[in-house]
Amino acid sequence: MENQTMPLAIEVKDLYCSAKGKKILQGVSLQVKQGEILGLLGPNGAGKTSLIRLICGLGPWQQGEIYLMGEKAERTRTDAQKAMLGLVPQENNLEKELTIYESIYCYGELYGLKDIKDQTEALIQKFHMEEWREKKPRQLSGGMQRRATIARASLPDPKILILDEPTVGLDPAMRQEVWQQVQMLKEAGTTILLTTHYMEEAELLCDRISFLKEGRVLLTDTAAGIKHRVMQDKGTLEDAYLSLVTGEGRQK
Amino acid sequence: MKWIPVYKRELRMLMRRMGNLGYLFSGLLFPMIYLLAFGWGLGDSVNVAGGYIGFLAKGMMAISVMMNSFQQTVISISAARFYYGTFQTLKLSPIGEKSLAFGLAMAGVTRGVFAGVIIALAAWLFFDIATLTIPGIIGLVLTAMCFASFGVAVGMSIKGQEQFSIIVNFFITPMTFFCGSFFPITNLPDMVQMAVKYLPLSLANSLLRLTSWDGSAVISVAILLLTAIAGFAWSVWRLNNYSEFE
Repeated sequence: MENQTMPLAIEVKDLYCSAKGKKILQGVSLQVKQGEILGLLGPNGAGKTSLIRLICGLGPWQQGEIYLMGEKAERTRTDAQKAMLGLVPQENNLEKELTIYESIYCYGELYGLKDIKDQTEALIQKFHMEEWREKKPRQLSGGMQRRATIARASLPDPKILILDEPTVGLDPAMRQEVWQQVQMLKEAGTTILLTTHYMEEAELLCDRISFLKEGRVLLTDTAAGIKHRVMQDKGTLEDAYLSLVTGEGRQK
Repeated sequence: MKWIPVYKRELRMLMRRMGNLGYLFSGLLFPMIYLLAFGWGLGDSVNVAGGYIGFLAKGMMAISVMMNSFQQTVISISAARFYYGTFQTLKLSPIGEKSLAFGLAMAGVTRGVFAGVIIALAAWLFFDIATLTIPGIIGLVLTAMCFASFGVAVGMSIKGQEQFSIIVNFFITPMTFFCGSFFPITNLPDMVQMAVKYLPLSLANSLLRLTSWDGSAVISVAILLLTAIAGFAWSVWRLNNYSEFE
């Protein structure tokens, strides 16, 4: 009963977006429940990153509505709406001039946190970054930078965290680390929307998965539900993806 | 006061860049070379009321304030948008567009004033000339505010480095040479004088050379202030209409 009265963390209704004469989103509707991890899967150019940008208020749309925690979000966001969201973009965007500690500390200041020093210290410990806290991004591997970027985004404890291909380009060990971080954030109650090209990652992390193609949501369900609906339980998630998204499914 | 974290962050990054000799030289080298070359080379052989070196030193101060407030602000914002993705962090922070624009502009003002003070110190060190007066300091700060606010707006508006080059070539470079930094505006033909008289750099030069307040100084201050407000309004508008689809 409690779930029925709780507003959705993210609700996207019939969203249309075009830019430079190109149709990017064509009537996307999506719901992300509070506390769940929703995975967005789709080929390159399907509109995953564009949808994320619109949810974050980083661009205009022509039609449709976006709600964050039940509150309608316009293109220009209120400070309260901004504080709800954290974004980890595809490319690590730590400030190249600052150390990891400074980068996190400045982020805390931007979010108006209190006891920023203590919170920064605690976060550095929580994400095991003690050894390289005084290093600058260029002195770190891509995986370490990713870890710091995710940690930084989680500092103000956003209700919703959006991860755009969080493990792209990472080696298997680093990827597992990121998965652990994502699980840790979910356990702390954060709602997570993530995009990925890795089926294993989606299956492992996500409560539900949406397939996106050419700016449209094709299907949203649990991994098991998708396999059942698309492959009649006779194939993997990847088979279902290939069958539905590329039309080249390995039907068994 | 939500702009303060933005300002502190920009300043922290600026301090790091200052440690980089390339950054320091790129913003100060041009006015410094002109000051030393023309100061030593021409010295007081050019006939200007109060002496040419003093005149030139104030002109170079105005140029360095303009370059550092405007160009470095544009470069910093556009690089954060196009190359490093760090502008997203600011845009997504719960600080409001006005505070964000103001914080970025104030960082630009600091850059400009700092550069102006360095030129003033160089003039004092090499030529034993005191360049800063009260109207001059007010002019310096207002000029920095004017160029920094436009720097934020332009940094938010340009779609690539090519557009920035156009702005530099068509606006900044002509202002550098025609707005009274190297010679008095009164030496120019009447038509050109009319065209450049109320440009921000001309007003900056006029305020920097004042020793006491008069009616024209009040007009200069008012125009610089209004221009700074216009630049700030443009910045806020650009931030409200920010798009990563452009």
